[in-house]
Amino acid sequence: MNTYSELAEILAAKQKQILDIWTERTLGTYSAPGFFKKSLDPFANPVGVQIRSGLAALFELLRDQAEPAAFVGPLDQVIRIRAVQDFTASQAVVPFLELKWVVKEVLAQELQRRLLADQLNEFECAVERMALVGFDLYCQCREQLYRNRIQELKSGRARFTDGGCPSRFLDAAARQEQMENMRK
Amino acid sequence: MAVIKVDKLAVSVAKGPSLMTGAYPNKPWDEVPAVFKPGNYAYPTKADKLEYLNSQQGVSFPNAREWSPEDDDWKLPENWKEIILQGLADRLDRFRSLKIFMDCCVRCGACADKCHFFLGTGDPKNMPVLRAELLRSVYRNDFTLAGKILGKLAGGREMTVGVLKEWFMYAYQCTECRRCSVFCPYGIDTAEITMMLRELLHLVGIGINWAMEPVANSNRTGNHMGLTPQAFKGNVDFLCDDVENLTGVRVNPTFNRKGAEVLFITPSADVFAEPGIFTCMGYLLLFEAIGLDYTWSTYASEGGNFGLFTSNEMMKKLNGKMYAEAKRLGVKWILGGECGHMWRVIHQYMDTMNGPTDFLEVPKSPITGTVFDNAKSTKMVHISEFTADLIKNGKIKFDKSRNAHVLPTFHDSCNPARAMGLLDEPRYILDHVVDKWYEMPENTIRERTFCCGSGTALNTDEIMELRMRSGLPRANAVKYVHEKHGVNTLSCVCAIDRATLSTLMSYWVPEVEVAGLSELVGNALVIEGEQRQDLTEGLRTLV
Repeated sequence: MNTYSELAEILAAKQKQILDIWTERTLGTYSAPGFFKKSLDPFANPVGVQIRSGLAALFELLRDQAEPAAFVGPLDQVIRIRAVQDFTASQAVVPFLELKWVVKEVLAQELQRRLLADQLNEFECAVERMALVGFDLYCQCREQLYRNRIQELKSGRARFTDGGCPSRFLDAAARQEQMENMRK
Repeated sequence: MAVIKVDKLAVSVAKGPSLMTGAYPNKPWDEVPAVFKPGNYAYPTKADKLEYLNSQQGVSFPNAREWSPEDDDWKLPENWKEIILQGLADRLDRFRSLKIFMDCCVRCGACADKCHFFLGTGDPKNMPVLRAELLRSVYRNDFTLAGKILGKLAGGREMTVGVLKEWFMYAYQCTECRRCSVFCPYGIDTAEITMMLRELLHLVGIGINWAMEPVANSNRTGNHMGLTPQAFKGNVDFLCDDVENLTGVRVNPTFNRKGAEVLFITPSADVFAEPGIFTCMGYLLLFEAIGLDYTWSTYASEGGNFGLFTSNEMMKKLNGKMYAEAKRLGVKWILGGECGHMWRVIHQYMDTMNGPTDFLEVPKSPITGTVFDNAKSTKMVHISEFTADLIKNGKIKFDKSRNAHVLPTFHDSCNPARAMGLLDEPRYILDHVVDKWYEMPENTIRERTFCCGSGTALNTDEIMELRMRSGLPRANAVKYVHEKHGVNTLSCVCAIDRATLSTLMSYWVPEVEVAGLSELVGNALVIEGEQRQDLTEGLRTLV
């Protein structure tokens, strides 16, 4: 597979610029992103650094036209965070698709060449494929959250409330309520 | 070719159409309302729980009703504003610390990027300085001369229903972990500001069920779960049977025994829920190994004190029960299990609330003779201090190979680390019970440890996403040592941690399990006369 090799060379040459803008716009989806953008300490700033390095890895995989399986790790690194933040599903995954926009803005001049314009279609298809895998991972993360909820209920860890304890049944009112629930 | 500026493009001055618009706030923070939707708030207190609590002596929890944070009308009392402002006035008068904290912040921003809620959400109101500003702005408006005259110009803000809703949103997006306080040059304890916010909200009947039902249960039967004395004893008895099956050692703990030397108090989750029960089995084995003269209490059957997350009076009442029980049983001192906030209550509030405890003796280990002068005032010793002292004096033997399945790291639980300075004892114990263990990066441990993200009664499942994002800084550091060193166990000394970190790990680092430190002690402990089976997973092994 070597479908956009000329474009890939230009992507490599413009890598820093593209990544800077892509990261900037992605971190710009947070309401107070200053610290996320500024701090490069991976432990003080996990959201900023994980997203930054995840996007960088994804870009390199696209540039190198890597196999789809290789994308899973860095996609997960980004989407696992966004899946539990205050985003809708589309807002969570949109940064992956946004790369198309960034590339078109940065390479506006180069893309006037016919050959590159054709290759851009191939590249965009690869980006969309990546975004779809990202969406699958998003769904997996959400499912994991629901499993977590069930697991907490089953393990008894969460039984501070709602009468998880057998001794509650000694309480006449609770027993009555239980009976009524069973009848329903 | 034109040079494309990152910041220019970032604010969406684009030629072509983009799918993304960014989230730069276009309004000042005080004009962005709190919006409640499923998943971003914990359920409010059930009316019957609040009614019950309000009927109890020494505490006040008015305005029990059915309501939802999503409704416009929160069914507040007519004079709610007067109640809140009077409540704030009372507290400014009673607590000098609150007055100082309201006045002395210079907004230097040192705390801003230290909060795990901010680091997980990017929401500016989760910066401790701004969270405190939610209260401070009202304080300025109504309690300072500048604010009274200049209002908004002096940073003042009128108390409105919108402000009240904002308080509820953000007082319950703080786990009172006090990491921000470590970095504050003025030593402002933002946790105490959250405590005040929660107290004020309770004055008009705003609170969360996950805090109040355990409080009601503790007040009624002595523990969060609402276990009756019979059920509590029954659960411990089950664990004794498990211990015997696993190790061949029969342990026979006593309950409510007058004249025992030591009263042992631990979170009730230790006798009820995984993985706490394995920690509890560790305690039982340790006490058997050294022949400790101790008793459990089925009344002081809870170390945890959700009163801390509720109100000063409630905290005092729940804490008082432990000491009342120690007095009734005539013990010499109290040994406390692996709990987090119990230790904060003991070290920071107990003395002024329920002290002096002159009916108890300064704790002295009956096995080593060590006098715990550090607990001279509270008369309460942490299980890790006690165990570390046994190890140092050579009173217990370990076989580290029994922990061969474990490669741990250690999570400093917020309260033992920051509120009592318990930093080295757990590490000393780990050194002796496992072959090898690894520290997480230094800005995530000891005093600078990151919270589990679910403390202060936020470990409820309806806010699972919030818990996962606020726990990210902790999980991120665990992931690092897992990937770098193959760490497979997150050890800790807190019951809330054991419960919530288990869920946190299953989302972020599923290869890592959570274990109480005393579980690892129990795994490795060599006891005379034992007949241990081959326990490939220690006390968790199914036999």
